[in-house]
Amino acid sequence: MAKHKQILLKNIREEGQHLLEKAESRGAYKVIRKALEMDPLKIIDEVKNSGLRGRGGAGFPTGLKWSFVPRDTGKPVYLINNADESEPGTFKDRLLLENDPHLVIEGMLCAAWALQSEWSCIYIRGEYAYPYTRVQAAIDECYEKGYLGENIFGTNFTHHMVVHRGAGAYICGEETALLNSLEGKKGQPRLKPPFPAVAGYYACPTVINNVESLSNIPFIIENGGEAYKSIGVENSAGTKLVSASGHINKPGIYEIEMGYPLMDFIEDECGGVRDGHNLLAVIPGGSSVPVMRAEECKGVNLDYDSMKNAGSSLGCAGFMVMDDSTDVVEAVLNLSHFYSHESCGQCTPCREGGHWIEKIFRRIAEGNGMPGDLKLIESLCNQIGGHTICAFGDTMVLPYRSFIQKFEKEFKERISNVLKGVEHERVPMDFQSELVSIGSAH
Amino acid sequence: MGFSISEKARQRLEELKKRYPKPQSAVMSALYIVQEEHGHISDEAIDWISGEVGLKPVHVLELATFYTMYRRKPLGKYHVQVCRTLSCALCGAKKLMEKMQERYGIAPGQVSEDGMFSYEYVECLGSCGTAPMCEINDTYFENLTPEKFEELLVRIEKEQPDLSLSTIEGKLGEGLSGCPKSEVM
Amino acid sequence: MAEELVTLTIDEQEVQVPKGTNLIEAAKQLGTEVPYYCYHPHLSVPGNCRMCQLEVEGAPKLMVGCHTQAQDGMKVRTQRTSQAVKDAQASTLEMILINHPLDCTVCDQAGHCKLQDYHYEYNAKPSRFLEQKEHKPKAVPLGETVMLDAERCIACTRCVRFCDEVTETGEIGLVNRGDRVTIAVKEGHELSNALSGTVVDLCPVGALTHKKWRFNTRIWYTKSTDAICPGCSTGCNVKVYERDGQVVQVKARLNEDVNKEWLCDEGRYGFGRFLPELRITEALTCESGQPVPCDYTEALKGLSSLSSPKTLVLLSPQLFVEEYALLTALKEKALANASFVVAYRERELSDVEKILVSPDYAANYKGALFAGLPEAADEKALEDKYTRALGQLKVGAFDQVLLLGDHALAPVDIDDKEIQEALGKAHTVGALSHLGSALLSSVDVVLPAQTILEQSGLLINRGDRLQYSSASVPAVKGALPIWRIIGDISKQLGSEIVSARSDRDLTLSYLGAEKRLEGLTIAQVKKGGVCIKTYSPQSAGADVKDPSDEVRA
Repeated sequence: MAKHKQILLKNIREEGQHLLEKAESRGAYKVIRKALEMDPLKIIDEVKNSGLRGRGGAGFPTGLKWSFVPRDTGKPVYLINNADESEPGTFKDRLLLENDPHLVIEGMLCAAWALQSEWSCIYIRGEYAYPYTRVQAAIDECYEKGYLGENIFGTNFTHHMVVHRGAGAYICGEETALLNSLEGKKGQPRLKPPFPAVAGYYACPTVINNVESLSNIPFIIENGGEAYKSIGVENSAGTKLVSASGHINKPGIYEIEMGYPLMDFIEDECGGVRDGHNLLAVIPGGSSVPVMRAEECKGVNLDYDSMKNAGSSLGCAGFMVMDDSTDVVEAVLNLSHFYSHESCGQCTPCREGGHWIEKIFRRIAEGNGMPGDLKLIESLCNQIGGHTICAFGDTMVLPYRSFIQKFEKEFKERISNVLKGVEHERVPMDFQSELVSIGSAH
Repeated sequence: MGFSISEKARQRLEELKKRYPKPQSAVMSALYIVQEEHGHISDEAIDWISGEVGLKPVHVLELATFYTMYRRKPLGKYHVQVCRTLSCALCGAKKLMEKMQERYGIAPGQVSEDGMFSYEYVECLGSCGTAPMCEINDTYFENLTPEKFEELLVRIEKEQPDLSLSTIEGKLGEGLSGCPKSEVM
Repeated sequence: MAEELVTLTIDEQEVQVPKGTNLIEAAKQLGTEVPYYCYHPHLSVPGNCRMCQLEVEGAPKLMVGCHTQAQDGMKVRTQRTSQAVKDAQASTLEMILINHPLDCTVCDQAGHCKLQDYHYEYNAKPSRFLEQKEHKPKAVPLGETVMLDAERCIACTRCVRFCDEVTETGEIGLVNRGDRVTIAVKEGHELSNALSGTVVDLCPVGALTHKKWRFNTRIWYTKSTDAICPGCSTGCNVKVYERDGQVVQVKARLNEDVNKEWLCDEGRYGFGRFLPELRITEALTCESGQPVPCDYTEALKGLSSLSSPKTLVLLSPQLFVEEYALLTALKEKALANASFVVAYRERELSDVEKILVSPDYAANYKGALFAGLPEAADEKALEDKYTRALGQLKVGAFDQVLLLGDHALAPVDIDDKEIQEALGKAHTVGALSHLGSALLSSVDVVLPAQTILEQSGLLINRGDRLQYSSASVPAVKGALPIWRIIGDISKQLGSEIVSARSDRDLTLSYLGAEKRLEGLTIAQVKKGGVCIKTYSPQSAGADVKDPSDEVRA
């Protein structure tokens, strides 16, 4: 299966890779020693040249993000590793944190040197208890060995690293919500500007990168930006971890080279859809991207541009496959519940509109839909998207809109059945989670 | 009645506070620590945390109600959290939930009579490739079927394993013997 | 220091504003209202209500006016010229109202509610929401002063930010998340600070109401007046709501230079103390402590002995500037030998009070100083003079005392037995307003005075700002404005100093005669006040005209 270059998962299956000794025997912490001899600005240039784009979902060029950090403010620079992986369909970062934490730490150290940051933090979602203990143990090992702390690797560079556990809030994956959470506030996104690069954690310059993005850094420094760029396709350099789930024979995480055909991925890597079923649709980038019908998937490649041209998005490559047994009305209701549950409640359109849409989807699924409902949802999507503080509102409406557009027949049928008095036997896929924490005060 | 907390917990919080540029960053850890010792976060606990980290009590309350992993009331010794989001739903999470109801006769948020179990539906736990799954206290159980899930519950009832992450000790419980802690690949 | 200006266009009209001005404020300069709920010029900007979205040329989506700074060359469109902005406003209102109980029929805020106003103005369409509304706690006391209806709350967080950023007492939070968010206080840490009632003013909807005034009246049955709070010398700008002669609500009015939009609880909830229940409506003589009605002209006759050098004139620090000016004339013309003293005493303040409150109960002591009555360099000298005079009074240095106003003695001194005794020995005449006054027992002759709430006039606050306070309640029949009493006393002593027939006449003639305020009109003073230290006739904006400046025939 090694037809794709393996940058991130190279050692992931090796015995004891999470331990410093074993990881080091396979080359860990070689690159940081080299990096510490390089000019920090040169590292930023290499990362810029590599074409690496943020793997958290937005795809913003990592090197460019780093270059926004002002270097003469007299304030400390902070590096945050966003390990709040919560996008439905995504579980790739967990694999890295659990099984190759030293790769993640080395990537962070390289970034910290490039940014001249003496303090970094891994913000890991609270539910990831096991990955948390693995990462913390790896950090402890590094402190013991002098790879973290004062004068690391015998240089003048000092760096401290902290793991911070979240406590159950999808929105903390949004970088400014993460910062608020890390400052001891509710995880509610901030207005921008200022951007974190200028005023982030406690108003100091801050870079927030995804786990996977940072894990690519050692390869880029070791082999040069060009070498990274040569993998993948134009505008989508390198490899990508795809989290594959749903109705497929071999769900799991795959490191593919960017530009790999989507259908090949389903057939070869994922082992095709379950026996006796046909592909119905794919949500390719994590739940916050438009759904693609089976026929749209043909000829599309897994890279930023191709996915965009196909009307969807690579996102963070949370690849969810639905076969023809799926009730799409139930599926979108399931997602709408997720989004209304996870709305932080700060700004009006998302707080109110998100719940409203869920209620309409629920009505349709329960057989109480009304003729104007699809138009109403479409209109509410327009009222939310583009009108909220953060991107949550913008992205939440993408699956709603696309499900309704692409499965219009199914939705209309469900609604007209009501009018005709035809009973639809519901097989609910959705069930409501407690809206807020189970023991919440009010 | 005053609020009490172990010396060890207090020391651990002091240590965690020092890791951040400002002590209020440790408020989430403080909430975990209190929850670990008391099973939930009481009003007195909030006042204590407020004093420790330098945030106003109401702003600590905000956190205890904003983040879903903090509990304002006691739950079962084993709190089962079944993921309900799309991938798990596609792969049959609903059947797991029905087992809970069937076996313990409780609704989400309720605690079984013996105080052992409670459960709730939760949103995506980042284990979609091994759906359906659940998290019991802080331990993931993946690639479940209704049958495997029932077996799991039977074993937990019998063996009463430690499935929790201790913030104070900084380690995860031993778990259920023979059950992998992670099956993500 | 010259401010850097930027030029932008809003709805194709050019406007210049200081760099850093946000688009809401920039639009205000053109007289364009950009609607908003969460924004407040003196609180941090959360941008959460989304009501102030505007179109900015070149921006990929609408921008919130509260968080967008005006830039040179920026082209901005408001609801006046942009359909997208209109749609966004209508949309926001629709969203805000889906979970709102729409209980306007029993809501205290009805009639002065931003939800009603904006919905009428910017949406005015029936709701498309057919589902169950979220239910939240109702009638929750947040503390001694304020009640919460969480269902009406739109989560703008103004109250939260006020307690975090201004009073720094941090009692209020927004708990839970999603559409379950609710304002709350932590048990055992209720809303309790000296400015607590301000959160009700800040609440744009009916979620927060005053315990004291809940369900007391529909706002449209009240008459509102722009007044100045007479509680202390901060001179907070307030709006007073009156019905049937009673104060039924007091709100802070925004004044950047004075009280922003804050008001202390003592001022707000204690407003009624300036309007006592048992009023004096005719002249009285007191024989052995019992007030007996007498003829006003007869009462004045007893005043001819005032010109004695053993006369003490005690002045309330809550008279108007015009009245102090009249008193200066009275002193010159008839009472050159008398001692004039203002009842000025300082008091201790709590930390939260210090944000707003002045350490006195002397709304217009600066007005007295401005009139040179008495001559005192500063607050300390003023207080010393007063203390000294009381000392002299106690040892019998005065045999004639004139008390002008209910606060001609500071509250702590009214109950002083020695002072009461001394007043009892002297021939004491008081212009007082209420029968409950402790002064009554030691006064020989009482002249029926209006209270400061019944009169209009000028006040100068601690920060040297000249402000205009309009009478907020109708005067009780029989009670006279203090300036008229001063005029009558003067006439009795042989000189006519008052020709005015109304408060307004008096203010206009005062402004016309006072050289230091030359060119100033009532309208200019009403617009946020005028600093007497920096005022010069050249700087007076002649463009501000107000009907109140026209002398009534």
